[in-house]
Amino acid sequence: MPIEVNGKTFETDEEGYLANINEWEPGVAEVMAKEDELELTDEHWDIINFLREYYEEYQIAPAVRVLTKAVSKKLGKEKGNSKYLYGLFPYGPGKQACRYAGLPKPTGCV
Amino acid sequence: MSERLEKGIQALRDKMDARIASYFSSCVHCGLCAEACLFATESQDPIYTPIYKLEPMRKVWSREYSFWGKLGAMIGVTDNVTEEDFANWETLVYDSCTMCGRCSMVCPVGIDITYMIRKEREAFVAAGYTPEGLQAATERAINIGSPMGVTLKTLQATIRSVEKETGLTIPMDVAGADYMALFSSMEIVNFEEYIAGLARIFKAAGVSWTVSSKGFEATNSGIQIGDPEAAKTIVERVVSAAEELGVKSVISPECGHAFMAIRWEGPNLIGRQYPFKVIHILELLSELHENGSLQLEGMTDTPLTYHDPCQISRRGGVIQQPRDLLNSVASNFQEMSDGGDMNWCCGGGGGVSANERADEIRLQAFNIKKKQLAELDGVETIVTACANCRLMLEDGLEHYELSHEVTGLTELIAEHIKQ
Repeated sequence: MPIEVNGKTFETDEEGYLANINEWEPGVAEVMAKEDELELTDEHWDIINFLREYYEEYQIAPAVRVLTKAVSKKLGKEKGNSKYLYGLFPYGPGKQACRYAGLPKPTGCV
Repeated sequence: MSERLEKGIQALRDKMDARIASYFSSCVHCGLCAEACLFATESQDPIYTPIYKLEPMRKVWSREYSFWGKLGAMIGVTDNVTEEDFANWETLVYDSCTMCGRCSMVCPVGIDITYMIRKEREAFVAAGYTPEGLQAATERAINIGSPMGVTLKTLQATIRSVEKETGLTIPMDVAGADYMALFSSMEIVNFEEYIAGLARIFKAAGVSWTVSSKGFEATNSGIQIGDPEAAKTIVERVVSAAEELGVKSVISPECGHAFMAIRWEGPNLIGRQYPFKVIHILELLSELHENGSLQLEGMTDTPLTYHDPCQISRRGGVIQQPRDLLNSVASNFQEMSDGGDMNWCCGGGGGVSANERADEIRLQAFNIKKKQLAELDGVETIVTACANCRLMLEDGLEHYELSHEVTGLTELIAEHIKQ
């Protein structure tokens, strides 16, 4: 279902992930969060920005383990656990935060 | 009968080889396989009895291969497979089986139930009954080259990071090297510690090695999901990369199913022998240590245990090597009950970890690992040799609020290189 941000239309896949990562703008995250009834704070933006930087370099959505390690390095050990991240993103730090950041859905090992 | 159902039944018929037909005729219905399966023991629900997971296939066998079944089919009293069966068994076959092979070990008449499950999965794939997560992963493995979507660019970024951390160069595309190392996507994305450990060890032991930019992915989701064509394509990619570089051996990484796929299934899939050897990293480390090229120092007295990845120990036969390695760096190594070829699965093998639908039952099954850990004396460190096991252990430990550390054996060995 496409989403509307500041009068512009963005295509998404069945699960609500942005179809084209390059189209992303901060408003996309705001609109998606609003739909989930979530207020984005600076803590949320720290994670979203990290995800975008990581994707820029690695071309893949990081696994939760990488995310917690990076958060712990940047924001301190007490925040470097999945409980803290789940507190911010109740639908799962990997999935929900990646969706807001315009990244594809992270996947496990097969 | 719908077209899809007809296709499904035909697929079950096609996958029914002599081995499977004779297995069904030999089953004595003893139920021992239930006691060997972590999904059955931890849920206490008989629906998870391993042989019962083959019910759709057994129905086809009964109607077409057994005397009474054939007779019954003629007068309309032998059940046929229904749409509902396919829908119900899709979750049984993909969510509650990690293909760990424990049931095959205990069967008193020698039925390899794991083999049958794989064949049944192949039929399910052919008829389009597969969990979405696995289907998408296999498509990524074929199109991008990795089930997790890892591209060469991802590998290069990881290698840059490892090189920065270790100060060593990771040799890329070096023709004529002795060994070509493969990595699992999970290692590239999540456990670059493994790659760093490998670089340090090989430097110390003077091993000539390389990584190919054309074939670096070790996992094979074609095998996991039951798609032989996809599985073959994935094996061929590695074989042609190794042939192009002219390496003597290919190293299967700390990943369970990669070893099964490339070492045991690969030549059958492509229909020819490899012109190189396939060796598991633990076999190689043990060999290097034994012949003196890899010197270790410093014994840790931290109590630790070893979680056997099913495809490396039970299905792969690499059992003694990790123990020899652990005993050479740790003075308090404790075996779990059932350690070795009968150790219990982490719960996430066989594609289960990539299948979100299975999370609940997987975590319930993890209770068996919790019990195994509780029997040990002061052990807070679990060593293993598979990135997926490692992630599943961390996930299960967190779920049950246990504080154990999980580490990889290669990494641990790298910490004990003689300086």
